[in-house]
Amino acid sequence: MADQNTDAAAKLQKLGARLRAGFAKQHPAQHLEAVRGAVRQQWEMEQRTKRTKAASPPTPPKSKSKGPGIEPGV
Amino acid sequence: MDDLIKLVRTYRLTAGPADRMRLAEQIFRLAEPDLRFFVFGSIARPAAEDALQEVLKAVATSLGKFEGGTVKAFWAWCYRIARNKLNDHYRRQAADRILPLPPEELWRLVDASAQDSPLSPEDKLDLEYAMNLLTASKPECYDYLWKHYVFGLDYAEIAEEQNLQYDNVRMKIGRCLDVAKALVS
Repeated sequence: MADQNTDAAAKLQKLGARLRAGFAKQHPAQHLEAVRGAVRQQWEMEQRTKRTKAASPPTPPKSKSKGPGIEPGV
Repeated sequence: MDDLIKLVRTYRLTAGPADRMRLAEQIFRLAEPDLRFFVFGSIARPAAEDALQEVLKAVATSLGKFEGGTVKAFWAWCYRIARNKLNDHYRRQAADRILPLPPEELWRLVDASAQDSPLSPEDKLDLEYAMNLLTASKPECYDYLWKHYVFGLDYAEIAEEQNLQYDNVRMKIGRCLDVAKALVS
């Protein structure tokens, strides 16, 4: 049974490979312009994010002291 | 297929827009036909073209974030994005859900594949048998056999998609194959 299943599975996989190959033959890539547009938009968004980060003022470091406090030994 | 993952890795390390677009074009020349096959095998035709464009844009937009290192991981990542987009589509237009490709259409695809790699008589017998297995199956089993054997999704991917346990999917697919064989023999 296992061998028969393997055989049937192999035939289905062979069919799959043929269908994908036939589909690729009938339908080569057609939306490369849309892909280029999406890549460009993404790049522009990344640049805007970088500029925004660079332009924002640095956050001041947190002070370790807690208020005026009392001088040690006073 | 090795070329595909090399291109994807190079894309990840590329900063300039012109280089990125050139690489994306090469990547999608290889990837678009399989993504198209996936989408057109999942939803009805008039809507499939729009859904495909959404899938391609979503994959292109996230391409730099793909962190895997193998072709298999890349396809799993692409199909996850495609599934999410198709799920959005199903929610909007439930009536478009379907749909096995008719056998005549499947044979046309087989014939198209034979232009580059002719079919031997043994191939023809094997493909006829496989086609009979599919067409004899009830819709749920057709769907499992199609996804796993024809399209090549592994058990884990189907389990994730259907929100099922891995072993549950493995057993269902095994049973579907047994039933189909019994019906065809």
